[in-house]
Amino acid sequence: MSAVDPTLAARAGTIAPSQPDSAVRTIGRGLEQAPILRQGLGVTWLLAALGATGRVVVPILIQQAIDRGIVGEDEVRLDLIVQMAVLGAVAVVISGVSFRWAAKRLGERSERALYDLRVRLIRHIHQLSLADHNEERRGGLVARVTSDIETLAQFFQWGGLAWLLEGTLMAVVAGVMLAYNWQLALVAFAVGIPLVFVLRAVQRRLVRAYDIARTRNGEMLGAIAEVVSGAPTIRAYGAGDAIEEQVDEVVADKADAQIRATIIGAFLFPSGEVFAAVTVAAVIGVGVWQGPASGLTAGALVGFVFLTYRFLEPIAAFTEVLDQTQTAVAGLRRVLTVLDLPIGPPPAPEPVALPDGSLAIEVRDVTFAYPARADTPGIGMSAPALSAIDVSIPAGQQVALVGATGSGKTTLGRLLARFSDPTFGEVLLGGVPLTMIARPDLRNRLVVVSQEPFLFDDSIATNIGFADPAADRQRIEEIVDTLGVRDWIDGMTDGLDNRVGERGDQLSAGERQLVALLRAGLADPDVLILDEATSSVDALTEVRIARALERLAGGRTTIAIAHRLSTAARADRVIVLEHGRLVEDGHHDELVERHGVYRRLYDAWVSATAVSRDR
Amino acid sequence: MEHTGNWSVVSGTVLLEPPAVSAAIDDPAAPAAVDDGARLARLRRNARFLWAITTIHPKLFAVAIAGAAVFAASTIVSSVVLGWVIDDVILPRFEDGEVAVGTVLTGLALILGVGMIRALSIVVRRVFASTMQWRVAQTLTGRVVDQLVRQPIAWHSRRPDGDLVARAGVDTETTVGVLAPIPFATGTVLMVVGSTIWLFVIDIPMGVVAAIVFPLLVATNVVYERAVAQHSARAQNQLGDFSAGVHESFEGVQVVKSYGAEERETVRLSHLASDVRESRITAIKIRSWFEAFLDAFPSMTNIGLVVLGAWRVETGDLTVGEISSVIFLFQLLVFPLRLIGYTLSELPRSIAAWERIDEVVTEPREPDPAERIEPAPVGVGVELDTVTFAHVDGGPPTITEVAMSLPAGSVTAVVGPTGSGKSTVAQLVVGLLGPSAGTVRRAPGAAAIVFQEAFLLAGTIRENVEFGASFSDDELWDALSLAAADEFVRNLPHALDTIVGERGVTLSGGQRQRVALARAMIRQPSLLVLDDTTSALDPATEATVLGNLRSRLTNASVVLIATRPSTIALANDVVFVDGGRVAAQGENDDLLRDVPRYSELVEAFEADRGTSS
Repeated sequence: MSAVDPTLAARAGTIAPSQPDSAVRTIGRGLEQAPILRQGLGVTWLLAALGATGRVVVPILIQQAIDRGIVGEDEVRLDLIVQMAVLGAVAVVISGVSFRWAAKRLGERSERALYDLRVRLIRHIHQLSLADHNEERRGGLVARVTSDIETLAQFFQWGGLAWLLEGTLMAVVAGVMLAYNWQLALVAFAVGIPLVFVLRAVQRRLVRAYDIARTRNGEMLGAIAEVVSGAPTIRAYGAGDAIEEQVDEVVADKADAQIRATIIGAFLFPSGEVFAAVTVAAVIGVGVWQGPASGLTAGALVGFVFLTYRFLEPIAAFTEVLDQTQTAVAGLRRVLTVLDLPIGPPPAPEPVALPDGSLAIEVRDVTFAYPARADTPGIGMSAPALSAIDVSIPAGQQVALVGATGSGKTTLGRLLARFSDPTFGEVLLGGVPLTMIARPDLRNRLVVVSQEPFLFDDSIATNIGFADPAADRQRIEEIVDTLGVRDWIDGMTDGLDNRVGERGDQLSAGERQLVALLRAGLADPDVLILDEATSSVDALTEVRIARALERLAGGRTTIAIAHRLSTAARADRVIVLEHGRLVEDGHHDELVERHGVYRRLYDAWVSATAVSRDR
Repeated sequence: MEHTGNWSVVSGTVLLEPPAVSAAIDDPAAPAAVDDGARLARLRRNARFLWAITTIHPKLFAVAIAGAAVFAASTIVSSVVLGWVIDDVILPRFEDGEVAVGTVLTGLALILGVGMIRALSIVVRRVFASTMQWRVAQTLTGRVVDQLVRQPIAWHSRRPDGDLVARAGVDTETTVGVLAPIPFATGTVLMVVGSTIWLFVIDIPMGVVAAIVFPLLVATNVVYERAVAQHSARAQNQLGDFSAGVHESFEGVQVVKSYGAEERETVRLSHLASDVRESRITAIKIRSWFEAFLDAFPSMTNIGLVVLGAWRVETGDLTVGEISSVIFLFQLLVFPLRLIGYTLSELPRSIAAWERIDEVVTEPREPDPAERIEPAPVGVGVELDTVTFAHVDGGPPTITEVAMSLPAGSVTAVVGPTGSGKSTVAQLVVGLLGPSAGTVRRAPGAAAIVFQEAFLLAGTIRENVEFGASFSDDELWDALSLAAADEFVRNLPHALDTIVGERGVTLSGGQRQRVALARAMIRQPSLLVLDDTTSALDPATEATVLGNLRSRLTNASVVLIATRPSTIALANDVVFVDGGRVAAQGENDDLLRDVPRYSELVEAFEADRGTSS
């Protein structure tokens, strides 16, 4: 990856879509990424070619048997036929074994190559900046690693082998046909080859039709998912009949689209049959017209009829493979596009070690703009989320970042954690620019606790232990006591071994935050960035969270991205952002007196949380 | 999925037995007596399945089968024609040097004619088979959707959302996956039987070869499909685990990055990926042998046929054309025979999917709990008369003997800690749940509920407010203004007709909530329940909306499930629920003074207000 260009346009350009590569170039780049595939490809092809020759044995044997064993002589020469048959059988066995080897080699190597590609892709995606990991892109990133690579696997299992085998087979069969009788061969080619164009034309329409069917299927699943997730609302409003009618329509649309696609497909295979009949009739007609005078024999003509079928078979297979190939190339292209995304904040080339002890933070003239969405036309970035922020936070200070939604407080938190680099300006930790700190060093000293903490579908203990894989059970037990949540853990059916469910959905929102705090506690960082929760939490859990937070934050430099102004009121210092600019900075009491932005936010907050009605 | 290769023809369809006893084919000498019962049961299960899905659209199925039968017949005829052309056109021309032009033209016309009939029969079969396939899928999905819409939410809550969607979607596709090849497989069986008879007619030794080779080829295919299916099924499951792992890992990317665990996650996922790889490679090794064998076996048979044929020509029992015709027929049958193996291997999967659908579809319709609500006495809005509710019959109750009577036109806040049964009360009063014991009474008129998470359809604002009913534009705007949603809706690109959701405009949580409120308001309910709706609304909007409501619907009773002091402040009365029982009821200030548990709960919010007071 190249160094980061500090201009807005250039940085945006790395993410905006570029011209797609051609198929050939895509395949070439794919092979570069998967060197295993290229190794021994020649041998595999040779084996495949040998395997293909098995298919011409029978037509040749028929010709030989008819001309030399049956028709040519006065009596049937069984001994000669048996000899030839044995020879043919040996050839078939050899070609069969070669074919098996070729298939195994290709299959094994492609699976290895795809595995490598998957791992490389996962590693790359995990190193992408958080900005590349937004909600809209996540599904796509998962699809790159799973379904797109699967299209490649599908291709190698069927199409890749077909490319090796059918292509060779057609060449071998064509060669044998030309050797028997070049005029007849040309007749067969002339009549048979147009099949390719017919098949291609039908197939293109088929692909489009299947695209539509897939889209309709997605719409159908979406509509059904709505009926399921909206069941209480639908029920409560007695809207069942109306909704069912709508869904039935979408279901019917999907069936219609599928039927349209399969009807196009229904004409694909028969066209092969029609061409076979016409070609065979042409070959026989011309052969009979030529007669023995041209040197043609009865056996050769019969053998030729069989060869004609052998010649047309791969055409049908081939055209199908072409589609699969297109799908696979498109999949590969998407995979390569992700690999081309520059990885997130680049690692420090010559890392500087962080000083021991508590760390101060310095934000120097920082401006940040998110890259423009890929679907917005042109190159560019959205309006800056942060403009010229300058702030210095001494070691051990408890700071609250405050501002309305969209004020940039979350963005600033992300820059402090180096989830992204500022577009302009720099952030220093303990006097060292973030860009010069080795990633493991930074992650050991600074931890972010998100407002919607993500939990893995595992036990509470495993989720806490995620912070430090070296931590044993005892340390996890200790941190539970240190943060004072022993009573909560003991209240769980299985204590620390309680499973949390998918995304932690077996726990309440507040309990998920507790796990996240325990996780941060285990990491024992010097700097803590807390992205506070907005969701309401029941009182008891609220109390536990507050207590755990207090113990966790003690003695550490703490930046709380505060949604509850009670947090701001308790902090040493409040930094207020508005529209990406730092507008107020000071202690809570001071700012309340000032009657500015903070005071307005605070008044709104107080009225929202007032208990009695005497407002 | 595994199955034995035993199949038989019953009422025109291929039946097979997916084995409970997987050793059956490996050990043909397995004691038959023990298996007979189970085998019969399996056969009955298959028959029931095929009967059920082919009789959904029987006419389409019949035409597809007819097409397949014509294909079978014309395939056999095409080999006969080739034999005739060789004997009567090609050989005379090359041996005697002469052949009548008329004979040549007849021969060519026959080849073309039979080829066209064959092609046409394929078109007919495929068109009707796939039309049937997707119409059956449509019918099955429709049946599931009907259940989804008709069953009460107690039924829904017993099933994971994803599972229900899978049954309506993926399972129907898997079920019908076997439908399209059934006519072809049936045609192939006819073709095999017909060819074997035909070969016995031409020459008994040839017939014997066919009687041995065809079943052997089918058996090999079945063994093959079984051997590979096991490994590909394992690979498929492992791929599922891998995909889930990737999804989870990317979803948790912020945590992963926070703790510098990128490499650890990559290694963890690479283990899952390597499981997939290993299973696939094993499957490839097996498959490549079978593929090679299935490629070589017909060639070997044909080589044998050439020798056998030459001997039969010598003895004068066969002509050259007839041998060629037999060899040609064998070649034409290789592909259809492979498809039988595929169909047989797909059947168990389809049956499993169909049974999952059937399970949902055949469940009896549960009674609508709303019908059990009784009319309330005059002046009472809602009344719970010693109501107990348990999600599972006889299970631990969510609420126990709750009694409350809310006057018509009152605003009541239901307050309680998480898990105290607040939401259950909300769903009971609107009739989404029915009490396990006790009675719910309600004043006449509509009841409306707005949930914590507003549910919007992927459709227009209009559709979302109308929600199955129909209202005038004036009524719509009026409701939107009551819900304080008119302003932002007016600013949307197509106002009422703006599409919201995935393919449209993304609304914020508060905007979604206000659209949901408008949906409730437009129905002018006599009872309105807001289930913690305010978590998405700011306090000012909340107060505005409630004020609008009180001024318009003076007789409506309002129940607020509240977790925010500002919400509680809007109510006349508070019902404090704790541990599934009504712990106290009265005015907020009184409860704060007299009920320590209540004041503890609410003071947590007070405490959160920090130093302000």
